[in-house]
Amino acid sequence: MFTDDLYLDSKAGTPPKTKHVSFKPAKKFHSNDYSNNYVHRKSFPQKYVANIENTVEGYPKLKRLLEIKEKQILEYSSKPYGCKIGLDQMVPKLNQWIHKDKINFDIVMIGCLSDNQFIYPLLTQLPLDKLVSKPGFLFIWASVHKINELTRLMNTELWAKKFRRSEELVFIPVDKNSPFYPGLDNDDKALFEKMQWHCWMCITGTVRRSTDGHLIHCNVDTDLCIEKENNRDGAVPSDLYRVAENFSTATRRLHIIPTRTGFEKPVRLRPGWVIMSPDVMLDNFDASDYKKEISKIGTNIPIKAEIENLRPKSPIQKAQ
Amino acid sequence: MVNLELLDFLIESHAQLVAEPVMGNMEDLFVLYKGIYIASGDDSYSLERFVEDIDSIANTSKGSIVFEENRLLSIEKSSHITKYIKLIDVYLLNLLHEQLVPSSRVNRTKNSKTDAVECAPASSSNLMDRLMVALDSAIEIKSDIESRKEKVWNHYLFSKLDELLTTNVGSNILGKERAMHNTPVAEFIPICANTEHSSLLSTLLYIVNNKIVSMQTTKLSKCEAQCPGFKECLLNNIHYVSNLKPQTDLTLGDCSYLDTCHKLSTCRYVHYLQYIPQSLKERVSKESQEMNKIMETKNSKISYYTHGECCSSSFKTLLPPQWICCDVRKFDFRVLGKFSAVIADPAWNIHMNLPYGTCNDIELLELPLDQLQEEGVLFLWVTGRAIELGKESLTNWGYEVVNEIAWIKTNQLSRTIVTGRTGHWLNHSKEHLLVGIKGKPEWINRNIDLDLIVSITRETSRKPDELYGMVERMVGTHARKLEIFGRNHNVRPGWLTIGNQLTGNCIHEMDVQERYDSFLNSASA
Repeated sequence: MFTDDLYLDSKAGTPPKTKHVSFKPAKKFHSNDYSNNYVHRKSFPQKYVANIENTVEGYPKLKRLLEIKEKQILEYSSKPYGCKIGLDQMVPKLNQWIHKDKINFDIVMIGCLSDNQFIYPLLTQLPLDKLVSKPGFLFIWASVHKINELTRLMNTELWAKKFRRSEELVFIPVDKNSPFYPGLDNDDKALFEKMQWHCWMCITGTVRRSTDGHLIHCNVDTDLCIEKENNRDGAVPSDLYRVAENFSTATRRLHIIPTRTGFEKPVRLRPGWVIMSPDVMLDNFDASDYKKEISKIGTNIPIKAEIENLRPKSPIQKAQ
Repeated sequence: MVNLELLDFLIESHAQLVAEPVMGNMEDLFVLYKGIYIASGDDSYSLERFVEDIDSIANTSKGSIVFEENRLLSIEKSSHITKYIKLIDVYLLNLLHEQLVPSSRVNRTKNSKTDAVECAPASSSNLMDRLMVALDSAIEIKSDIESRKEKVWNHYLFSKLDELLTTNVGSNILGKERAMHNTPVAEFIPICANTEHSSLLSTLLYIVNNKIVSMQTTKLSKCEAQCPGFKECLLNNIHYVSNLKPQTDLTLGDCSYLDTCHKLSTCRYVHYLQYIPQSLKERVSKESQEMNKIMETKNSKISYYTHGECCSSSFKTLLPPQWICCDVRKFDFRVLGKFSAVIADPAWNIHMNLPYGTCNDIELLELPLDQLQEEGVLFLWVTGRAIELGKESLTNWGYEVVNEIAWIKTNQLSRTIVTGRTGHWLNHSKEHLLVGIKGKPEWINRNIDLDLIVSITRETSRKPDELYGMVERMVGTHARKLEIFGRNHNVRPGWLTIGNQLTGNCIHEMDVQERYDSFLNSASA
């Protein structure tokens, strides 16, 4: 009796042992409601995406493709160029490039992840169709609100004829502490807190995805980028450049940043790109040097058999 | 009259005074000040005098000391002082000091700097000297009171503007809090990201017919030894294990369709099964049920923040699901009445063979959607080419596009969709939902949710259910809500659904029933 009591007493004092917890599997599939979770725990839904850091996780073929492409793109890159220039001097300078220096670009990216950009004046003052070659690709990055405003301009017949809108890209910061949180885009009209940046991807001239494999590689990247940890070090996350590089094989690439980005978000240089910005870290662009270098590299990255084997292609058309 | 000693005290120790543990508490400040500046035993300087002196400084140099009210303080300490110092702007205090005792402070800092210069080696052209000269000239500029004043004011203005821009409005804070108390908690189980766990787990599970049947618990302790924390993780997180079959070729990687693959018995790519212990599922379900029960009993008391709610919201019961099977293109929208929120998911005429009929884009534009709301919100799902068309239609119907919600489409493993040629030029990992507003609905609860939905894809073109919760939080659960082009899985309490693939009709609102009957009569007549 005595020992029994002692045993029971000591048992009552200890927490119940988790020895008999069942590991029996549940039968029903469970999926989480991240919007509900946000309301209750203030934890952002995008953070639960499982492949943010390694987007192609689980797809070895795609991973290999991206690796080879990255290597080949670097191999056929011009050296990084910067053109440090005031905002009001951008249009005259670009006009000079077009008319005097006779330079064209196949990929032109305009804007970055910044709220206060002068995109509209740039688009209306610039003979953009002369700057972008045919076929050419135009990427315009801005806040959702700005892109929505630009829709009016881009939908006018004159514009729509020259630049066919083909995809809308989205960039999402991971949380509100991110340097890419679009805080100022949250105006009084918004019904939902904004967490996105949008990009208009336009194509000039004609390319066909089934036959123009020497010009474009379709379906390599997706239309969505979520901020990665190592992407925070500048005004432009490298993913923005990567999408353009992977899509078009062209080597003449220009990025115009029509805003001041400041010291906290410096504009970094990138091989293969001419970057025009008031805050770019280097001012080394010279038209004749650039043309010489491009003539050495070639205007397009050559076809590589291994990439051709790996990249997603349209189903083969029946012979006509 | 400004108490100069107090001013000195505030300038010298401004940082410590507003930081922990003093936190700007007036009584503590008084004790500190008294300890330093007032001889012990002298009780003539009272707390009241101290507060008056502080106030006089704050009034003389506006904005130099920022107070904040704290009612809790007075309850705690039964004191009449309800404010504490939140911020001391030492620039402004310095300015005040200079006005009262010209040149004293400036000289002091200047002297200390020149001392430093004298200490430095005398060689004239070394870097150190040049740096010191630069520093000195900086001080010279600063000591010029006019330019310094300007700098201070710019700094002050900037911090004020920044505060204004970043301050969250009260309605938003209250709205979010209310949404938290009124939204039932959904069962939430985190997903384990440790690949070692899933490979260990796959050695333990017994899979038959693409289902996890049982687990070899005897091997568990061995795995635990190999990877500490494994058991604990199993009992708290969702795990995915590969469902390997004789034909599976590991080098190929994951199947693009995963759990929705139709050729499970022949597909050579890797598929996965979800493992959650029954006990975990039951525990989470019990926890959220308990939380929701507490929420229900709490809500029997009416919340003080009633913005955008109907007056009987605390006891009103939700209308059961209503639906009308009809051809939307030929339906008379006047039958339906007016709504606070409308969702439309039209089948845009895109170049893809969808398993259901598509209506013509022009026909969509011609729908009389302008009749459905006096003021309110309309949500329009759009794909690729239809984004502009959708924006145009919304404008034509009298709406302004104020948001675009992105649905980040995920698969079984909570990864974004990156393969499968889902778009023409790039793969599509997200879909767009345009949000248009009409009129000036003051009853709307803004910014409760984000413009993002992260949710798993289901049947073709089926949209995430998360949207319903977001809309209900925005317009209230009892507001009238309509879904156009809905299917059977879209019917939901509090919502009226119309579409041509619904089974029959179900109408509970008498006026809608009456108008519907007369519409049918006139149509048949």
